[in-house]
Amino acid sequence: MTKWTAGSAFLVAMALGLASASAQGSGTFKYAEQVKLITMDPQQQSGSGVPYLRPVYESLFERGPDGKPVPLLAAGYEVDGLNVTIKLRQGVTFSNGEAFNAEVAAANINRGVKLAIIEGLKTVASAEAVDEFTLRIKLKEPDPAIIDSLCHTGGMMLAPAAIADPALDRNPIGTGPYVYDKAASREGEVRIYTPNPTYWDKDKIGLARYEVWELPDDTARLNALKTGQIDAGNWLANPQSAIIDRTPGLKLIRGTGGLNYHVILSDREGTVVPAFADLNVRKAMAHAIDREAFGKAVQFGLAEKSFQPYGKDDWAYDPALEGIYEFNLDKARELMAQSKFPDGFTFDMPSIPIYQSRLEALAGFFKEIGITMNIVPQEPGTLARISRTTNFPATNLVWATNTDPKFLALRYIYADAAYNPFKAKPTEELLALAQQGLESVDTEVRGPIYKKMAARLAEDAFLIFVTNTPILIGVSEKTANNPTVVYRFGEDSINLRGLKAND
Amino acid sequence: MTVQSAKEFKTARRPRRRLSASLVITVIATSVLVLLAILAIFADWIAPYDPLKQNLIEALQSPSAAHWLGTDDLGRDVLSRLIHGCRIAVIAAAEATTIAVLLGVPIGLFIGYRGGWWDWVVMRTVEAIVSIPGIMVAIVIIAILGAGLHKAMIALGILYSTSFLRLARGVVLAEREEVYVRSARVIGASDGRILLRHIFPNIAPPLIVQVTLTVGAVLLSEAGLSFIGLGVQPPDASWGTMLNTAAAFMDLNWFLAIPPGIAIIVTVLSVNLLGDVIRDAVGRGIVVGVKPQTPAARFETFASVAADSPLPPRREDEVLRVEGLQVMVSSREGNEVPIITDLSLAIAKGETLGLVGESGSGKTLTGLAILGLMGAGVRTTHGSITLNGRELSSLTEKQMEKVRGNEVAMVFQDPTTSLNPAFTVGSQIAEVLLTKKGVSKKEAWERVVELIHRVGIPRPEERARAYPHELSGGMAQRVAIARALSCNPSLLIADEPTTALDVTVQQEILDLFRDLQEEFGMAMLFVTHDLAVAADVCDRISVMYAGEMVEMAPVDALFANPRHPYTRGLLRAMPHASDRNPPLPTIRGNVPRPGFWPAGCRFSNRCDFRIAACDTRVPLVGTDRLARCVRAGELAMEVAS
Amino acid sequence: MLRLIFQRLLALVPLLFIVSVLTFSFTSLLPSDPVDLIIGDTGTQEQYEIVRERLGMNEPVVVRYFQWLGRAVQGDLGTSFFNSVSVTGAVMQRLPVTLSLTAVSALIAIVVGIAAGIAAALRPRSWVDRFATLGATFGQAVPNFWFGLILVAFFAVNLRWFPATGLTPISASPWEWLRSVTLPAVALGLSASAAIARQVRSAMVGVLQQDYIRAARAQGLPARRVLFRHALTNAMVPVVAVLSFQITVLLGGSLIVEQVFAINGLGTLAITAVRQQDIPMIQGLVLVMVALVVIVQLATDVMYGLLNPKARPS
Repeated sequence: MTKWTAGSAFLVAMALGLASASAQGSGTFKYAEQVKLITMDPQQQSGSGVPYLRPVYESLFERGPDGKPVPLLAAGYEVDGLNVTIKLRQGVTFSNGEAFNAEVAAANINRGVKLAIIEGLKTVASAEAVDEFTLRIKLKEPDPAIIDSLCHTGGMMLAPAAIADPALDRNPIGTGPYVYDKAASREGEVRIYTPNPTYWDKDKIGLARYEVWELPDDTARLNALKTGQIDAGNWLANPQSAIIDRTPGLKLIRGTGGLNYHVILSDREGTVVPAFADLNVRKAMAHAIDREAFGKAVQFGLAEKSFQPYGKDDWAYDPALEGIYEFNLDKARELMAQSKFPDGFTFDMPSIPIYQSRLEALAGFFKEIGITMNIVPQEPGTLARISRTTNFPATNLVWATNTDPKFLALRYIYADAAYNPFKAKPTEELLALAQQGLESVDTEVRGPIYKKMAARLAEDAFLIFVTNTPILIGVSEKTANNPTVVYRFGEDSINLRGLKAND
Repeated sequence: MTVQSAKEFKTARRPRRRLSASLVITVIATSVLVLLAILAIFADWIAPYDPLKQNLIEALQSPSAAHWLGTDDLGRDVLSRLIHGCRIAVIAAAEATTIAVLLGVPIGLFIGYRGGWWDWVVMRTVEAIVSIPGIMVAIVIIAILGAGLHKAMIALGILYSTSFLRLARGVVLAEREEVYVRSARVIGASDGRILLRHIFPNIAPPLIVQVTLTVGAVLLSEAGLSFIGLGVQPPDASWGTMLNTAAAFMDLNWFLAIPPGIAIIVTVLSVNLLGDVIRDAVGRGIVVGVKPQTPAARFETFASVAADSPLPPRREDEVLRVEGLQVMVSSREGNEVPIITDLSLAIAKGETLGLVGESGSGKTLTGLAILGLMGAGVRTTHGSITLNGRELSSLTEKQMEKVRGNEVAMVFQDPTTSLNPAFTVGSQIAEVLLTKKGVSKKEAWERVVELIHRVGIPRPEERARAYPHELSGGMAQRVAIARALSCNPSLLIADEPTTALDVTVQQEILDLFRDLQEEFGMAMLFVTHDLAVAADVCDRISVMYAGEMVEMAPVDALFANPRHPYTRGLLRAMPHASDRNPPLPTIRGNVPRPGFWPAGCRFSNRCDFRIAACDTRVPLVGTDRLARCVRAGELAMEVAS
Repeated sequence: MLRLIFQRLLALVPLLFIVSVLTFSFTSLLPSDPVDLIIGDTGTQEQYEIVRERLGMNEPVVVRYFQWLGRAVQGDLGTSFFNSVSVTGAVMQRLPVTLSLTAVSALIAIVVGIAAGIAAALRPRSWVDRFATLGATFGQAVPNFWFGLILVAFFAVNLRWFPATGLTPISASPWEWLRSVTLPAVALGLSASAAIARQVRSAMVGVLQQDYIRAARAQGLPARRVLFRHALTNAMVPVVAVLSFQITVLLGGSLIVEQVFAINGLGTLAITAVRQQDIPMIQGLVLVMVALVVIVQLATDVMYGLLNPKARPS
């Protein structure tokens, strides 16, 4: 009798265990992120660190394997002029039990608009619920990239309780396959995520535990990958990623999309540095850079030369621009001689640690044609903000090559563009091109317009493109052979839906 | 030649050797620093390349003919960057140290002079800063000022100013009380002049020392701060930033870390070594080389000298027997010098032999030689020591350890230093019983109390738990005696056991020795310089001079009829209660130090009775009393007459 | 002894008060506005005002100080400017890391320093002595972070005996913890070993010339016992005095050595806080460090008292 009870109890326990295992997934996957976690509030997030958010938050859309948006929390959409109507997925709840519906989605979008940190929501006027599962977003101006923007942080949906929480930055609540385990996580070291018991698509939960390690030190991250402490992690083009590339048993994945590194001569009208107003000077600078050597030495052969803002597989990419500012010291010197500043000049350039070696290399190139570039160190995380001020006549930034080209105008071209602190006036032609680019959502139509824009920008040479590096993810051999590992298009993270552990 | 004591001998000779060693260090360290300064000033001419000139194609190269130390991540010449780094190092050290001095010294002088609230507030602030790890203070200051060479050096300057501040304040506080400052004020000098005139010269020496300490610390801190990116900013080449770059490329080219590391180490080492030399020099005044004075009479060669003294007669109850003992000490020059020669003596059960002489005559060493505890560089070369019929020189160190304490024990001169200050007196006696007798703890403690009681200390239970510093000198000596007797030794060596004590206590201790000897029946070797003390406790007295026995006689005979001029001198120097008035005659000069003994009679250079015959070796002669003097017979008659 | 501990703990209060006033007034001198850093690249004036209000930056510094002090005495050192992480929590989380690093390096420094010091003192002017003295002088000139780099290159990258980076918590795996703490602790402990060795040597040379050593030997106590019980106990008295200072230095040094080994301790926290101008974090860190230093001083004072009966209050 007692035996029977014990035995059946054991069976029941077994059954429960099996059941929960199938619902919960098994094993652990460990990812390492190179930037420190600042906040887990997607709408306060100003760029990198998305891998911390993805396990918890899902966005309305996500990018498919070809980069085109596909619905995730949405079920479909329709764009009608300035109105974007989005049908939402039904039967989704947040991990705290709150329901996901149009009202919540509208509140999310409106909060993002009010906080005004997410670039992709700048064109949004407001959002409202049409019915329980229909969301309407009203735009200020035509925006062919709005759905793309909703694939990222701009489209991430937060639970109402989370929005109300002043400590949202460490208490994320979303609809995602995993929930954040604050107690198990260690601040500044590792974030632990466990399966979301109320997830709407349980089959996609393949792990019992997901960890994101905060390893800003490139060497530490490399060692962690070598020793199996992590299964995958993201890298910039640096010595450590070069080592991964040549280490047996490790693999460096070159993801879709990438980062374009470029120099911006913000003071192109010569307010502070008169030489920058001289087209010959700007062209000389563009010709003075040995992009080949730069890519090899500073970015360890992981980069390729760049003469335009787009990547090679992008729809706006124009092969005709390739090599337009090929390294040519004689030509550069000749251009300098022809300019009004044959004896050269001096200017200041802001720097943050990760760009230090790049700028040191650029300074070396400019020195060859008589231009002295002083490198002025700034606090990490402040470069973009400082670049928006007139503190420096020039700056250097990266740009995600698969960002919609419309942002090019928003960042650099318009008189009130973000990184046009000296309010330089664009030519009529550039303005017109920027306007035309917004009038259609069809890339077939928009492509030629942006190619033309890139050509005009190349002629003006106030944006000096240097190199493109692909998104780099270092993985172990096991991860490389794991069929469930899917790298997100144009993002330095792995899609968690359906991800299973390596063994 | 004026005769120097052994102590003077040491100090006179040691500095000379150290000077030569420190001279080498000084020269090397100074040359390194001069080289550093030259490289810093002429970096532009000396460096083979522009330190910022890059060549991306030639990045991360190993050392080659073109690039002696290879190239860094941007293909810049490491040697050139290293040379230019000297400039940063010099600027950093100069800047931070100057700031520290200029900030710390005036404030320290001011608060030291003013005192009161100013002093209180500033000193509490300084204490607070000092209680934070230095690098954290620097990091917080840099948080306010921002990163960069000069800002980081200001931070370090502020940090290190605290030590200059305390130094200056300390000097002012000391000097303020000095009479001459007060007198200067009376004369009417202004406060400022007092500070400048009197305090500055006194600050200078410690200030110089502190500066060298600070320079070394600044160099290390600058490198550390630059390494974590808060100091010198790239592309400027500082050794710390070079290491920062090297750290990122360790896997690809570890050699990058070597040149800047070596540069830092060599520089800091030079500064520290120079600082040590300066500190030594300031500490004891600049030492001038002293040539050793050539002794007037070189000591005779000894290897050939056989024991020429008559051996003491054998007795049945003999406890200790020493025959022809010769002890050598190795000198700094490497050769050995005799320190005790031709010493023979014997002590029987219940007998007390006094060993008398001036300090430096070798009496204490005789005691230690018996125990086999003469210390490094001293060894017995001739003779035998027999204790209870056993030849001690044939024993191993382990066996010797057994003999000590059990068969022979020693009481030392100063009880306050011969008892270990860290343990209670009782535990120190108990320890002996536990290790030597293997008794239980309880038994040991009972015996301790008993012994302490036996040596005449009231409330022994309580006193056993006292620490040495809690007891009076007399009390402590009683404890030391109790410890020596704890294992019932057959021989007790007492080395000046009353010298360090109050006169009133001396007699009590001497009485105690007599009582204990009666009770325990041990033989006693009583070492003293005081003939009166020896007369009190000894049966026979042996007088020692310059490492040899010059006279031995029963107490009464010796006092009544000394045969050696030295014994006479000692007796004359004894104060007598009866005739107080005439000043005490003393023997002129000092005992010559080992290695500088006159050939022949060693007392000859101090002796009023010296004759030509004294220049040859004089043997110890006699039967029941012995003397080592060619004129012993004459002197005996002179005294008798 | 209890009274001594009590007195020292009592003295800690005004010290912490002064330190808190100092750091508070220092950090209010920060030239750049942390609010700018918080709202980031795209901040507007409106956000700026909101954040300023939230952080209470509009209050006068004195008011802010006493508000902070009121919470601090209850163990709440405030909240980071950058996220909702409590300063107390963040510091406490990293404290074990830095403490274990500092403690192990202190242990290494003590063991190596004492062993080398004794070896040198036993035979003054012998080659052992010269070697130890030279090593100690050299050890004090080597930057700890450079030594760390070299150790990593040799023992971690080349020989693969130890991990190159990171510090495994002792609770996760004691063996891995030991492996991961070894290199940083050795790197950190080098100069302290050198300083302690020098101190031990000179103290030991002095003590070995003392009468009570000779007296103990004369009493027939075994040489080893005399050396380790009688001589060492007394030689440790001056050593303990430098130990307290050396541990403070180690604590500071750990901030930099942590960077070499990418260890997530107080140093990493401090450098991040300084870069971000995270004032509450900086204040909290400084206070905790001072408290640590005072505790170390207290511990060494107690040790000093145990070793040296004369220093005990009667």
